[in-house]
Amino acid sequence: MSKTPLFITALVLQVAAQALGGVWGAAVGGLLIGLALRQKGAFRIGFGAAAVAAALLLAMVAIRGGNVPAFAGMLGANFKVPASVILLMTLLLPALQAGGIAGGVARLLRRSA
Amino acid sequence: MARLTPVAVLSLAAGLGATWLGVRGVGAVPPLGALLSPAVGLWINTTGDLPAEASAKIPGLTDGVEIRYDARSVPHIFAKTDLDAVRALGYVVARDRLFQLELQSRAGEGTLTELVGDVALPADQETRHLGMPRAAEAHMTAMDTTGMLYGILRAYAEGINAYRSSLSTAQLPVEYKLLQKTPREWLPVHSMHLLNRMGYTLAHSPLELDLLQARALVGDSAARAFWDTSSPVQEPIQPAPRTSPREALAALPAPGAPDSAAVRAVAALGTHTGPLFWARDAALPAGQRADVQQERAFASNNWAVSPSRSANGLALLAGDPHLELTLPSIWYEVHLVVPGVMDVGGVTIPGLPGVTIGYTRSFAWSFTNTGADVMDFWRETVNDVARPTTYELDGAQQPLEARVEQYRNKAGQVIATDTVYFTHRGPMQKQGSEWLSMRWTVLEAGTELLGFYQGLRSATAEGFLDSLATYYKAPAQNMIVADTAGTIAIRSTGLHPIRANRGRGTEILDGRTRANDWMGFRSVAQYPQSVRPAQGYLASANQEPIDPQLDSLYLGTDPHYEIWRGLQINRLLRADSSMTTDKMRQFHTNPGSVRADRLAPALVAAAKARIAQGDTSRSLASAEAILSKWDRRYTRDNTGARLFETTLGRVVTLLWDEFIPAGKDAAVVRPSESRLLQLVADSGSTWWDDRRTAGVREDRDMLLSRALVAAYDTLVVDFGDPAKTPWTWGTVSPAKPRHVLRLDGFSAPDTPIDGGRGTLNPSVGSRFANFGASWRMVVEMAAQPRIMGVYPGGQSGNPASPRYLDRLAMWGNGQLDSVRTPRTPADLSPRDIRATLLLTR
Repeated sequence: MSKTPLFITALVLQVAAQALGGVWGAAVGGLLIGLALRQKGAFRIGFGAAAVAAALLLAMVAIRGGNVPAFAGMLGANFKVPASVILLMTLLLPALQAGGIAGGVARLLRRSA
Repeated sequence: MARLTPVAVLSLAAGLGATWLGVRGVGAVPPLGALLSPAVGLWINTTGDLPAEASAKIPGLTDGVEIRYDARSVPHIFAKTDLDAVRALGYVVARDRLFQLELQSRAGEGTLTELVGDVALPADQETRHLGMPRAAEAHMTAMDTTGMLYGILRAYAEGINAYRSSLSTAQLPVEYKLLQKTPREWLPVHSMHLLNRMGYTLAHSPLELDLLQARALVGDSAARAFWDTSSPVQEPIQPAPRTSPREALAALPAPGAPDSAAVRAVAALGTHTGPLFWARDAALPAGQRADVQQERAFASNNWAVSPSRSANGLALLAGDPHLELTLPSIWYEVHLVVPGVMDVGGVTIPGLPGVTIGYTRSFAWSFTNTGADVMDFWRETVNDVARPTTYELDGAQQPLEARVEQYRNKAGQVIATDTVYFTHRGPMQKQGSEWLSMRWTVLEAGTELLGFYQGLRSATAEGFLDSLATYYKAPAQNMIVADTAGTIAIRSTGLHPIRANRGRGTEILDGRTRANDWMGFRSVAQYPQSVRPAQGYLASANQEPIDPQLDSLYLGTDPHYEIWRGLQINRLLRADSSMTTDKMRQFHTNPGSVRADRLAPALVAAAKARIAQGDTSRSLASAEAILSKWDRRYTRDNTGARLFETTLGRVVTLLWDEFIPAGKDAAVVRPSESRLLQLVADSGSTWWDDRRTAGVREDRDMLLSRALVAAYDTLVVDFGDPAKTPWTWGTVSPAKPRHVLRLDGFSAPDTPIDGGRGTLNPSVGSRFANFGASWRMVVEMAAQPRIMGVYPGGQSGNPASPRYLDRLAMWGNGQLDSVRTPRTPADLSPRDIRATLLLTR
């Protein structure tokens, strides 16, 4: 099966999971991706889908009027890091969750060649 | 079959580890995943700010309430009953300030640790040791649950709780998310806690130890000349029949031998913890404590002008309470309309169901702090110093009330327990080896809100003041009022204790006899006050309310409050018999300074005298040149104020060596700055001699010149050569409102201002204190009063909201916004409506 439909499916799954379940949603989404794929590349798909999903949800926040860059700067100042680090962490954390869990589960339950 | 390969394990570890970190956090790292989740974390707080149309339910409402937020985000509440208006007030305040509500009430309850963690334990302990939560609970227990006061408190709680219960986890304020807490239910007693907290902020100034320490160092006579004597310059709040301030710049008695009784008492009172200290000062080095107390004591201004002295023949009023500058602001602007019952606007303190400073259709009012001495101490003789159960009173043993206080952390676990004792006077605490009991008017307050509610039904300035005098007990305030009939009036309202034998509240008294107890309180007729003064204006800025030559009964004033602002306001008002609202607006940020006008010439004269005597210091010549050219105004772009301020700091360091205990390197107490006026007039006073310089006897000119040189040299190191990089005031002394949790990212940027210490705009943003004009208001008492106002910050408490800081620039520039006063919802034009909220049952 082509990787593109797989990625899009994983992306839809991640958007829904993160929107409904936040940090737990990203993990559960990763688990479902791993269970569904059970093959090499699950980490990349889970990682990428979760990161893009977080980016899309963040874009939704901006579309709804949220001043994302300014608020990232505020949060960064609270944690003594640049705004870019906050934005990166926003994308990276669910990506690591979903990618790691998807990759691990897929490896554990890998289909025979 | 599962294949447990290293790659699988690593991958799972990464995924589960990131999840763990995201959900629980590690050590000091918060649960970032939950916080940064775009769907439910902090990001969501950037959206949905004040939707254009909304509706909500409050179960207790008797009828629908319509709320229109104007373009300034001020909610105008249109209700049919006063209790419905209060319910709506609770709702709109919670909608914008939910976290602040809880934080402030917990500060008065002594339960901050349950919200913010163990770091707040010392503050909570101080609150409970002062008996504040016990007093609030006692008031609630004694309150008539069918009465008006309880009804108001309960209605307000219903409004807050209706909003609180409507929130999903994702909608919680950012602070709750950061602290991983949820808002607690608001109870009527929480408003009483907040009232006590205001008492702590405004009327908690134990000064007995200052006098004792001074007596232990320079003897009784000299110490009392500084700490137990009225200000050398009198321009009181109750106008005296004079056309200028009364000055009594008598020479100060020379420092004498230590008072041995005071030495023993100071030793017994021991460590820097206990009721005679502020808990937040305990960690400060002794040498900085005096600075910090001085920085905090910026208090407030208010003034009013009679029609005879205003340009358009209308009474005018202005006020600017100086409090800690926080984000969100301590104030929230509202307007409540109940046809036929009340039409009141102004600023409310989130947590208190009423308008604290504001206006009606008939009058406007503002407050300043009296600084009166309303807290006294008695030395108790207990049966068991370690675990007392009784105390001696009039030859008999009286049982102590013991109250066990438990402190809990965020998880609800007990982190500390202690016992607070109470005598018939109030809470009793250990200070060194002594047990001291305390009586404090704040613990006897609680009916203040009724004064406001009754007063709002009045149509006159005097009626409003009389209503407050009936119910208002603490913290004592200089209440100024102006009405549409042209009356201006002021009264220092609140419980003012009368001590036994017409004594003063400056000593720690023997607790073994009731004869040393307070005898009662001043009657309203004995309050400092004035109605329709002949001089045509009234002003208060925390100066002594009444000239002691007119009333010798001890009132007590906080010596940290300086005389300068009072003198400056009176000077400005006296000079202009054609006052306008715009001039009064400009007064709020007037950069003039009586302090600089009186003290800077003394510095210049001293430098010139020393130069004439052959002093060739280039620093002295340069410093003298800068101060000579300085216009003595604290404009943000001036380059002289920094040198003047630093020099005065050096002067007091060099001058008050007599208050440095043996073996220490800094003074433990510091006299009021106004005493410099007495010393400057006495060039040979022995106080000028710095005893640390063996073989040299300094006089005034020598010490002032030395301070100038030291200040100049310090500033050159810190800010460079002033010829190349001028020491611009605005860049070194900006205002900086801070987030209530001291989070840098949610705090305001440095805001340069016109003003400084001793001016009418004495904002300070130092490491220790951050005070300034927390609200500015000017009112013209036309048939339809015209109101202008501003505060630093914004209506929203949400740092992600565009309404969080939208007023700061206007405040920084000394501008005021026009306050809307619609009588009905239809009176606000559509383009002036930012949002609408409908409340139903």
